[in-house]
Amino acid sequence: MRNIKKSFGSVHALQGASIDVHAGEIVALVGDNGAGKSTLVKVMAGVHGWDTGDYEFEGKPVNIKNPSDANALGIQTVYQDLALCNNLDAVQNLFMGRELAGPRIFGRRIRRAECEVRAKEVMTRMRLGNLSLSRPVGAMSGGQRQNIAIARSILWTPKVVILDEPTAALSHSASAQVSSLIRTLADEGLGVVVVSHDIHHFVVEATDRIEVMRLGANVASFKSQDVTGEQVVNAMVGGNEDVNLAG
Amino acid sequence: MTEISATPQPEAQKTRTFGELLTSDLRALPVVIGLVALWIFFASQSDVFLTARNLSNLLVQSTVVGIMALGLMFVLLVKEIDLSVAAVNGVTAVLMAKLIVEFGFSPWLSIPIAILIGALIGSLSARWVTFVGVPSFVVTLGLGLALNGLQLLLLPDTARFGLMGTGVEMIAQTKIAGFSAWLVLAIGLVVYSALVVSGMARRQKAGLNVPVMSGLIFPLVGGAVFGVIVVSILNSHQGIPLVTLVFAILLGVGGYVLKETTFGLHLYAVGNNDEAARRAGIKVANIKMAAFAIAGGIAAMAGVIGASRTLGVGVFSGGGIGGGTLLLESIAAAVIGGVSLFGGRGSIHAALLGALVIGSVQNGLNLMGVENEIRLIVTGLLLVLAVSIDKLIERFTGQQSF
Repeated sequence: MRNIKKSFGSVHALQGASIDVHAGEIVALVGDNGAGKSTLVKVMAGVHGWDTGDYEFEGKPVNIKNPSDANALGIQTVYQDLALCNNLDAVQNLFMGRELAGPRIFGRRIRRAECEVRAKEVMTRMRLGNLSLSRPVGAMSGGQRQNIAIARSILWTPKVVILDEPTAALSHSASAQVSSLIRTLADEGLGVVVVSHDIHHFVVEATDRIEVMRLGANVASFKSQDVTGEQVVNAMVGGNEDVNLAG
Repeated sequence: MTEISATPQPEAQKTRTFGELLTSDLRALPVVIGLVALWIFFASQSDVFLTARNLSNLLVQSTVVGIMALGLMFVLLVKEIDLSVAAVNGVTAVLMAKLIVEFGFSPWLSIPIAILIGALIGSLSARWVTFVGVPSFVVTLGLGLALNGLQLLLLPDTARFGLMGTGVEMIAQTKIAGFSAWLVLAIGLVVYSALVVSGMARRQKAGLNVPVMSGLIFPLVGGAVFGVIVVSILNSHQGIPLVTLVFAILLGVGGYVLKETTFGLHLYAVGNNDEAARRAGIKVANIKMAAFAIAGGIAAMAGVIGASRTLGVGVFSGGGIGGGTLLLESIAAAVIGGVSLFGGRGSIHAALLGALVIGSVQNGLNLMGVENEIRLIVTGLLLVLAVSIDKLIERFTGQQSF
C-alpha cells in the first residue's frame, strides 16, 4: 500500500493541501488557475520543498529535497512541456541522462542494442509496440510524443507517476489514446496522479477519484463514477452545487 | 468505469520516403553533389586540378580550416558560438613559438602547452557564459579582441618568430609514403571495422534486426574503397601528409565521440533542449564547458599546424587581427557541411566536406588565375546557397531535419 499525504502551513500557494494516491489508482487533481495544483505537484516531484506538513511514502515519512530524491523513491513526473529533445530518437530520449554505457576508457560508449531492447519491452508493455524507435521525436505527432514522455517515466519501474496536463495539447483521438495508456499503467499497479483542465472529456471519464483544489486547499473529493462534469466545475469555482453553471 | 478504447495509430516505419532520408541519413548528399559539381567544373577549366599533386595540395590547404571547423562544431552543437577560435589559434601559436625561440623549450613540450592553454581559454569563456549569463557571442567576441592584443604583446620587435630549424616545420613537411601509408590505412580500417562489427554483433546478440546492407556492408566496403582511393592518390605524390593524418584521426575520434558516447549524445541533447537535458540529470554547464574546451584546444592544434606551414608566427597568425578570413571560413565550413547554428544538429563529416568545398574553391580559382576577391565572393555565395538548399529541402519534404 502506497500512501502519500502532505499538508502545508505555507501562507502563499498551499494552505493545508493534501493528496493521497494508492497503487492501481488514477487520481485527478483539478482546480482553477492559481488553485495550487501545480505547486502541489512540484512538491510531490521534489522540485519545491515544503514548509510544514508530512510527506509519507509507503507509510513512512520521507524527506525529498530534489527531483532525484523523488526519482530514487520511484516517483516520476511527466511535465506538460514533455522535456523531450526533438533531434533525438525515442530510445535516446527514453534513456537521456541515464544511458546504459560501457567503461570510461572507451569514453562511455552507449550500449545502443541493450537500450533498444529495454525500450522495446516498455513500449510493448504500454501497447505502443508499433511506434518507431529510430525516428527523431520532433517528426512525431503530439500524441506519440506524449506517449514517449510517459514511457520514459515508467522505464525505471516507478511506483507513482505524476502527469501534468497530459491531454492539453492533443486532439480528441490522441487524448483517448493517452487515457487508455494511463489506465494501462494503473492496471499494472502504479499510482497515477493527473493534473488536468479537461474536466468533461478526460477527468470524469478516465480517472478513479477527483481531488478539487481551490485557493491552496482541498475543497472537494469525488469518486469519478458518481459525479458529473458540472458538479466538478462547480466545486472548482466555489459555486453552490445548486447553481447550474452549465445551463 | 468508462473504458476508453483507442486504436493504435499505424505508422509506416518500414520504408522511408526519399524526402525523409534527405533530412536524416542522406543529409550530406547535397553537399557531396555540390562538391562533385565543383570538381567537375574546375577539372574542365584546368588540366592540373585533378592531378595527384594538386589534390594532395588541396587536402593540405583545407586542413587548418577543417580542423578549426571540427572543433567549432562542438560549440555549435550546444547552441553556442565561439568567435575567439581564430584568436586562440593565433595567440597559442605565438606562445608556442616564443617558448621555443626565446626560452629554448622543446617543441614536444611547447606544443602540448599551447593546446592546453587553448583548452583552458575555451573553458574559461564557457564558465563566463554559463555562470554570468553573458551570451557566448559577446564573451568570445570580446575575448577574441583581447587575445589579438595579447598576441601582439607576445611578439618581439621584429613582429615575427621564425620556426625554421626548430623541428616544428617538420609537422607540415612530413609525409608518410609507400608501405607505411598503406599500413596507416590498414590500422585505421581495422579500428573502424571493429567498431562497426561490434555494434552490429551486439544487436545480433540482443535479438534485434541487423541491417546487413546499411549497417554492415555499406560502411565497411564504402570505408575501405574510400580509404584506398585517397591513399593511392596521395601515395602517387609523396604520400600522406602528416597534417592530413592528424585531421583524419581527429575526424575519426570526433565521429566516435559524437555518435557513440554518452558525452556526444548529451551535446546534441543540450543543443536541442537544455532545460530537458537539465531535468534529465545532465550537467549542462559542464557539457558546455567541455565543448568550448575542445574547440579551444583544437584551435590551438590548428594554430600549431598553421605555424608549421608558414614556417613561423607573426601578426598574421590566426588570420590576423579580428580573425580575418580564418574565423569566417571556419564557421562557414561547419555550416556548409551541415552544422546548424541553432544547435543540436550536424555530423562529423560536416567539417571535412565544408573545408573541402572552401578549399576547392580557393584552389580551383587560383589555378584558373582568378583574383582573390572573386574567391571571397564565391565562398560567401556558396555559404548562403548551402543553407538555402537545406531550408528548401525542409520545406518541400515537410520534414524538419535533425
